[in-house]
Amino acid sequence: MATILTVDDTASMRQMISFTLNSVGHEVLQAADGREALSILQNKKVDLVITDVNMPNMDGITFVKSLRELIDYKFTPILMLTTESQDAKRQQGKTVGATGWIVKPFNPEQLLNVVKKVLG
Amino acid sequence: MSVSFSFSPSSMRLPVSMPRWWRWAMGGLLATWLWAVPFVSWWVALGSGLCAMLTLTVLTFYARQHSNKDDIGAVLPPSEDESQDVFEQVDALMSHSKDIEHIPQVEEVLESMAQDNQRRRLDDLMRRWVDVAQRYSEAALVLRREIYSVIKQTEQAANTIASSFEAVINKATIQARQAMELLEGTQGATSDDGTPQSLKDFIQVSDERLNKMADEVVRVADLSVNMVRELDGVQTRTQAIDGFLLDVEKLADQTSLLALNADIEAARVGEHGRGFSVVAQEVRRLSQRSHEFSDRIRQHLKEVRSGLSRTYGNMRTLSAADMEHALTIKEDVLSLTQSLEGKNREVAETVSRINEISKEIAQDVRNVVISLQFHDITSQKLSGMLEPMDELRRTLYHLMQETVSLDKNLLKNLPKNERWLSRLQEETLPAPEIEPSKEPARKESTQEPPRLREAIDNGPAVELF
Repeated sequence: MATILTVDDTASMRQMISFTLNSVGHEVLQAADGREALSILQNKKVDLVITDVNMPNMDGITFVKSLRELIDYKFTPILMLTTESQDAKRQQGKTVGATGWIVKPFNPEQLLNVVKKVLG
Repeated sequence: MSVSFSFSPSSMRLPVSMPRWWRWAMGGLLATWLWAVPFVSWWVALGSGLCAMLTLTVLTFYARQHSNKDDIGAVLPPSEDESQDVFEQVDALMSHSKDIEHIPQVEEVLESMAQDNQRRRLDDLMRRWVDVAQRYSEAALVLRREIYSVIKQTEQAANTIASSFEAVINKATIQARQAMELLEGTQGATSDDGTPQSLKDFIQVSDERLNKMADEVVRVADLSVNMVRELDGVQTRTQAIDGFLLDVEKLADQTSLLALNADIEAARVGEHGRGFSVVAQEVRRLSQRSHEFSDRIRQHLKEVRSGLSRTYGNMRTLSAADMEHALTIKEDVLSLTQSLEGKNREVAETVSRINEISKEIAQDVRNVVISLQFHDITSQKLSGMLEPMDELRRTLYHLMQETVSLDKNLLKNLPKNERWLSRLQEETLPAPEIEPSKEPARKESTQEPPRLREAIDNGPAVELF
C-alpha cells in the first residue's frame, strides 16, 4: 500500500493517524513540524501528506506552499487536518494548493475513505 | 465651616495667611521700636513697646476681619479674659517673629486642606492600585505555570494511553487471528502428508476415518460369519469321511473274515485248495493293509478334525463377538460422529462470535481514536490562553513601573516594596489567591468539545477542493 507522511506537533495525534492508516496496510512516516517534514521528504518519497495547520517553527499553510514548490510534490495529494473549520483558513489552504480538508477530531472511517479517494 | 483659632501657645502653627500690608506695618513698627530702644531710657522704651504692641494687636484684629468674611465670631474683639491670652499669644508670636514667613489667609488654608485631602485619597488609591496589580500579576504568573504544566501532564498521559491502546489492539488482533487459524485453518488446506490443518477439517477427517473403520469391522464380522458357515460345512464333511472310514474298515474286516473263511474252505478241500488258500492269504494281507491305511487316514482325519474344531471354536466365539462388537462399534462411532458434528457446530459458532466481536472492537477502536484526539484540541486551546496571560503580566508590569517612577513614596507602604519588581521576572513565587481569567482568549475558533457524530455547524467535516 501507500507511503503517507503525517505532520502534527502533538505526538498523540500522530499516533492516532498512524494507527488508523497502518490498520489497512499503509506505511506512515511522522514529523513534528513543517521543517522536519521537509527534511524527511528530502530522503523519502511519499504518496500522500496529511498536515496540521497550527504548528511551531513552520505552520501548515507555509509548509504546503513550500511543498508545492518542489517538483516531486507538485501533484501529490495534501490533506489539511485542524480544529478550525472556518472558511478563511480553508480558502487559504485551497489557495496554497491543498487537496482537501479534514476537521479534528477525525472519524477514522472518514479518514480512510478520503485517503482511498485521493490516492485513486 | 467655622474656623476657631486661639492665641494659645499650643497652636504654634499659623494656619491663616495674613495680607501684605499687615506684614509691612508689623515690620515697620518693630524696626522703629528696636532702633529707638538703645537711645532712650528704659521706661521710655517700655512705654513705647507697650504702645507698639497695642497697635499690633489692633492691626492684627483688623487684618483678620478683613480676610475672613464668613466667620463673624472670630472678628469680635476678644473679651477681658481672652485679651490676657491674646497678650500672651502675641508675646509668643513676637518671640517667634523671625520664623513667621507667611501666614496664609483662611480661604487659602481651606483650599489647601481640601487639596491635601484629595491628594491623600489619591495617594491611598494609587497604593491600593499598585498593591492589587502586584498581586494579580503574581497570580497571573502562577496561573500561567499551572496551565503549562496541565498541558505537559495531559500530553504525557495522552501519549501513554495512545501507545497502550495501540498495543492492546494489536494483541487482540493476534489473538483473534490465532483462534481463527486453530478453528478454521487456512480454508481446509492439508499439509504434505495429508494431515488436516484446521480443527474443522480434523473433525471431518476423523469422522470419515472412524466410519471407514466401523465399516471394515462390520465387513470382517460378516466374513467371519461366512467362514464359520464354511467350517460348519467342512466339519460335516469330515464327519462323513469318518463315517466312510468306518465303512471301509468294516469292509476290510469283512474282507479279512471272508479271506479267513476262504482259507478254511481251502484247507478243507485239501491240496486242490492250496492255490486258493494262498490267494486267500494275500487277500487277508491286503485287507490288513487297507486297515492300516484306514487307520492312518483316520489318524490324519483326527488331527484335521481336532485342528478344525479348534479353529471352529475360535471362529465361533470370534464371529459372534465380532458381530456384537461390530454393531456396538458402529453405534459408538455414530454417537461419536454426532458429537463431532456438535463440535463442528460449536467451532462454527465460535468463529462467527469471534468475527462479531472483531467488528464490535473495530467500532470501539473508532470511538477511542476520535476521543484520544482530545488532548491535541484542549492543549491548543490552553496554549491559546498563555499569550494573553503573558500580555496581561507585561502590561501590569509596565504600568507598575510607570506608577512607581511617578511617586517613589508609593513603594514605602507596600508590604513587599521593591522586591516584587524584580520578582516579576523570577520563577519562584508563593501563590496568593489565584483569580482565574474570566475570559480565556482563544486563537482557535469556538468549537464544541470533540463529538463522535459529524454534524458541525461551520461546515462539513471533510472537504475536497
